[in-house]
Amino acid sequence: MSNIRQIFERFGYDSIETPIINPAETILGKYGEEGDKLTYSFKDNGDRNIALPYDLTVPFARLVAANWSKLPIPFKRYQIQRVWRADKPQKGRQREFYQCDIDIIGTKSLICEAEVTKVITTLFSELGFSQFVIKLNSRRLLNSILNKFGIEDATSAIRIIDKLAKIGKEATVEMLIEIGVEKAEELMVLLMPENNNEETFKKLADFDTSELKEFFDLCEDMKVPLNRLQFDPSLARGLDYYTGISFEVYSDEAPFGALCAGGRYDDLCSMFCDQDFSGVGVAFGFARIMLGLEAMGKLDDVKLSSEVLVTIFDEAGVSDSLSIYSDLTDSGINSEVYFEPSKLVKQFKYANKKDIPFVVIIGPEEKAKGEVTIKNMNTGKQKTIPKTQLCSYFNNYTNV
Amino acid sequence: MYRIAIQGKGRLQKPSIDFLKSIGLEFDVGNELVLKCNNADVEIIFVRNSDIPIYIEQAVADFGIVGRNVIFEGLYDFPILEELGFGKCSLVIAAPEGNEDLDGERIATTYPNSLKSYLKKRKINASVIKIGGSVEAAPKLGLADAICDITQSGRTLKENGLSIVDKILDSEAVLVGKSKAKWNKLTQSL
Repeated sequence: MSNIRQIFERFGYDSIETPIINPAETILGKYGEEGDKLTYSFKDNGDRNIALPYDLTVPFARLVAANWSKLPIPFKRYQIQRVWRADKPQKGRQREFYQCDIDIIGTKSLICEAEVTKVITTLFSELGFSQFVIKLNSRRLLNSILNKFGIEDATSAIRIIDKLAKIGKEATVEMLIEIGVEKAEELMVLLMPENNNEETFKKLADFDTSELKEFFDLCEDMKVPLNRLQFDPSLARGLDYYTGISFEVYSDEAPFGALCAGGRYDDLCSMFCDQDFSGVGVAFGFARIMLGLEAMGKLDDVKLSSEVLVTIFDEAGVSDSLSIYSDLTDSGINSEVYFEPSKLVKQFKYANKKDIPFVVIIGPEEKAKGEVTIKNMNTGKQKTIPKTQLCSYFNNYTNV
Repeated sequence: MYRIAIQGKGRLQKPSIDFLKSIGLEFDVGNELVLKCNNADVEIIFVRNSDIPIYIEQAVADFGIVGRNVIFEGLYDFPILEELGFGKCSLVIAAPEGNEDLDGERIATTYPNSLKSYLKKRKINASVIKIGGSVEAAPKLGLADAICDITQSGRTLKENGLSIVDKILDSEAVLVGKSKAKWNKLTQSL
């Protein structure tokens, strides 16, 4: 999580937090029927209607609406908090989970979309994903395509198209026919992405794709690896508030659905105030990303809480052990001290139980020579070195 | 104009100068750190051995002559254009007799990156102590249990009671640069 924070901060995003307990009207009605169904809402003891955040974007919009005159606009923030959805739990998606969001609000510049794309590629590359792809589309383009097909109920059509990956092409066509789309088959042919972005653009030559083309140019200027971007005209984020370019990130290394999703919204804050704030935001699925990293074995070298246990040999050794413990923590080594002088075997057992790889022993013999003994709990090997070299020994230890 | 970086001081300097003359460059060595060739638009710059890759990376120099061990230690990924056959040596791990098990030991070196990559490959954990020189003396003085250093004949190691535990790398002087085509163009113009 701290790696993710560092990347957000590198790109100039400030950290904020928003309330967990919210008046229900703040949350409900913002995500469409589907979202309302999945929102946790209940009455508190004062008979007030309460809702837990479904995502972080709406609470953020509320915060901006209440404080916009005091914020630097455009405002960039990141937020890492829990959100709740009353969905069927599945791998990588519990009912309570962390989301990491970044948003830029208060500008319509397409540079925002390109910057967010840069953050996404930086984050997934640096975390160690090598297979990820960012699928993207323009809601404006999708609307104009649906318009040409004479579809009146664009919102319902978009929700159906959004299910394409889940239910498949045939079922999508059937559902579209049910809501009165006549040329559903033809529409789906047009919406399916081609082998590469150039061909997809070519297929849609009759439509205005200038926004997406400009976006690709800006991404190139920002040195975003363009092979990570896949223009997919069928992408139709099922939320009601996206108005421009939207994104979804997938990786074969973490096949649990989208690892990150978001896009441009133009009037989200208008639900809360008269000000019209355009913004771009994406949410990163923390649990799914962690599962992916775990599957790739990238979490193996995560440091355990303590690297070193300083033992206490006997009552007379308390003072030396505490002094060494202090030296270790002062030089940044995760360590702990055993709290009482007892049999070394007992102290070793404690270290084993906590998976602490090293114990430090200062018996009378070591004390007399100004030395300490280091026992490697994994190999059992013991090594005696001058006490003055102890911190350097651990700080320079290679951990493979 | 081309710039070629070579060692300002040390055992690679003379053979590097000889090599540059052998490809047809004409110049007179004096005290200058930047030297213009008489017969071509080429500057030879004399810099610290370990800085040579930095001059190339920052595109201040086009080519450099440096030990392969320096490139390896600096984790540089630019290509080796030619192996020059001089300055041969090895990067080795050495320890006092009977101290061959490196696990958990203190190893002193001026090449910490090379040593760490070796340890990682061999799945050995150890404490890597970076020092600036006189590495051979570290075990005798109680700073380390073993060392990782460059050796040619192994004589200095022996004199300090050390024997070779393992070899990390065979090194020699190499010509490096970002573009082989550029080098070909230079040599063909001479």
